[in-house]
Amino acid sequence: MKIKTPLITLLAGAALGVILLVASMLATPTAATRYTPIGTPTSASTVAPPSPTPTARAVVNAPARADYAGEVHGGGASVAISIHGSRAIAYVCNGSVIEAWLKGIAAGGRLIMTGKNRARLSATYKPKQAVGHVVAHGVRYTFSAPVVHKPSGLYQAIAVVRGAKIKAGWIVLSDGSQVGSLEPKADAAAPTATQAPVLDVATGTARDGSTVLVATPISGVTGSGFNQQ
Amino acid sequence: MTAEPGTSAPAPSGRAAPGAAKLVLPSLIGALVALTLGVYGRLHHPTGIAVNIAGFSSPGAVKSWLATGAIAFALVQVGSALVMYGKVPRIAPPGWIGGLHQWSGRIAFLLTVPVAVHCLYALGFQHYSTRVLVHSLLGCAFFGAFTVKMLILPKPGLPRWTLPACGALVFTVLTGVWFTSAYWFFSTFGIRH
Repeated sequence: MKIKTPLITLLAGAALGVILLVASMLATPTAATRYTPIGTPTSASTVAPPSPTPTARAVVNAPARADYAGEVHGGGASVAISIHGSRAIAYVCNGSVIEAWLKGIAAGGRLIMTGKNRARLSATYKPKQAVGHVVAHGVRYTFSAPVVHKPSGLYQAIAVVRGAKIKAGWIVLSDGSQVGSLEPKADAAAPTATQAPVLDVATGTARDGSTVLVATPISGVTGSGFNQQ
Repeated sequence: MTAEPGTSAPAPSGRAAPGAAKLVLPSLIGALVALTLGVYGRLHHPTGIAVNIAGFSSPGAVKSWLATGAIAFALVQVGSALVMYGKVPRIAPPGWIGGLHQWSGRIAFLLTVPVAVHCLYALGFQHYSTRVLVHSLLGCAFFGAFTVKMLILPKPGLPRWTLPACGALVFTVLTGVWFTSAYWFFSTFGIRH
């Protein structure tokens, strides 16, 4: 009997691992419904039909400049959208590997945006909130993000360290909580991301190891961050 | 590729010691465990989401504390093993030292399992920086090495150095895993819950 105990230890560990794995798999769809991409590699056709979004009558009183930020439905990630005239920049991020920068056109209260790695966002926006869905890293989120004001909103930091372009993004919500991710190789076609260091909103800086990242607000209201894009 | 660190240490004995042949199968199984974890981590599409424990600010904090707990029990492992083998002067092994060694090991191992599940399911085997690559390799190697240790533990007739060497390997790899993750986390973000 004593002979067998190491094996029991191993099997108990394996069983615990399997239980947690299954629990994780069960937990994943509640936060984000898996999105199965439409097989076509041509990006134009996959972006085209924003079916779950609004009908044409949707919005007339769309603001020309606005910043939105909020958690996605079910939690697990945040999204920020900055609208500056007809241009829009958005970021969705779970504080870890799921994140995407998106750019696109804002017109008549509707937003269509795309990003690397088949990321896409489609939403309507009004003076108080933006409502829609976003697909990042193969995960589909729906959201209704309220308008936010400084210092809440979207921040970005870009730095070149030893030849690699680092790109970090943070979403600061209206309650002051923040979520951020960092792409250590932002120039890659499908950049991988990791948790970003904490952004000090007061100074606009974050420490990544020995590197100090200086963040710029990306605000549609002030236009900050829109010239470099 | 991930399996090598877990297997290469016991292998060189093969030529001389008579009991060493018994190491082959456990080493192969350990290698397979490490390789399986690595391949799964590489092929599985990371979700970024896994079950979490309430009361912590982030999965990174949870994992860092669990890993630190595992390291603490692993230190008990090393200490109790030294006492068991009579390597500590003037301390005779007490009767409960075996139980202490077994249970500290079990707890340390079980603490690492949720961390590994989160790593492999939510983050995957990654290589975008040296720290991350080393962590991914060592993380897979740890479970391979631990498997080897557990499988050879009940076998009679092994060379006397085998268990201490294997235990030392497991401890060393775990320390490397901890330094490339929890230590990095705490030194980057501060010690937080």
